Amino acid sequence: MANMKIKAKVKGDTLKCKVQMKHDMITYNIAKKKGVDANFITYVTGKIGDRIVFEASTSQFLSKNPIIKFEAPSEGVKKGDELTMYWKDLSGKEVTEAKKVKGLK
Amino acid sequence: MERRKFLGLGLVAVALVPASLSAFDFRKDKPDTWKAKKVDEAIKALYGDIKPEESGLTINVPKIASNGGAIPVGMKSDVQLKSLALFQDANPEAAVAAFTIPADVKTVNYMTKIKMAKSGEITLVGEGTDGKFYKVSKKLDVALGGCEG
Repeated sequence: MANMKIKAKVKGDTLKCKVQMKHDMITYNIAKKKGVDANFITYVTGKIGDRIVFEASTSQFLSKNPIIKFEAPSEGVKKGDELTMYWKDLSGKEVTEAKKVKGLK
Repeated sequence: MERRKFLGLGLVAVALVPASLSAFDFRKDKPDTWKAKKVDEAIKALYGDIKPEESGLTINVPKIASNGGAIPVGMKSDVQLKSLALFQDANPEAAVAAFTIPADVKTVNYMTKIKMAKSGEITLVGEGTDGKFYKVSKKLDVALGGCEG
């Protein structure tokens, strides 16, 4: 099951990425009301090969199914390279998914 | 989308310190940041006692957010940054996200969607590679509170 939608594209000297993570992002308040455990994405990275292009620590206040857009220099990104996104949530669930970078000849 | 789920303000949440793996993880290194109720306290917990300049950064948000459950927040910088942190004052805790900026990123251009319970102010604080701190704040109106904090 896809846990993420990943789009990565090189345009000129910029690598443009858009990622949507499938996650309910249950805040502590919702959790209290519904009697479930709070759970939200706490840590996200994006990598091309070994190079980190994006890294963030996040809190409960990202929207449900959060979207992140980011840009990084495209230098060194080759055809066939993949953007590997990784996230981890409060329950300890870890998800890694990769997608080929588009826009390269 | 069951937006109804998000409506209304609940009780103040009990903050926990989550476990983490990475050395760069702000949640592990700066746990107090995520528990701080006020923006100032959160900034202090993250960066210490700083005097940020009111320049270098830009926030892009709609003036009126129709749905507080997913407010697009664009973050841009004119200066090279080491890290960037996003706060708001409408939810029980202030911190939203902290980004570690890779060294080869010259100017930041990020976007994410956040939840806000009510109208409030979004604050962005960046730590420059030159050792200076930058800050920008922007108020916005939330027509329909989308977050229970």
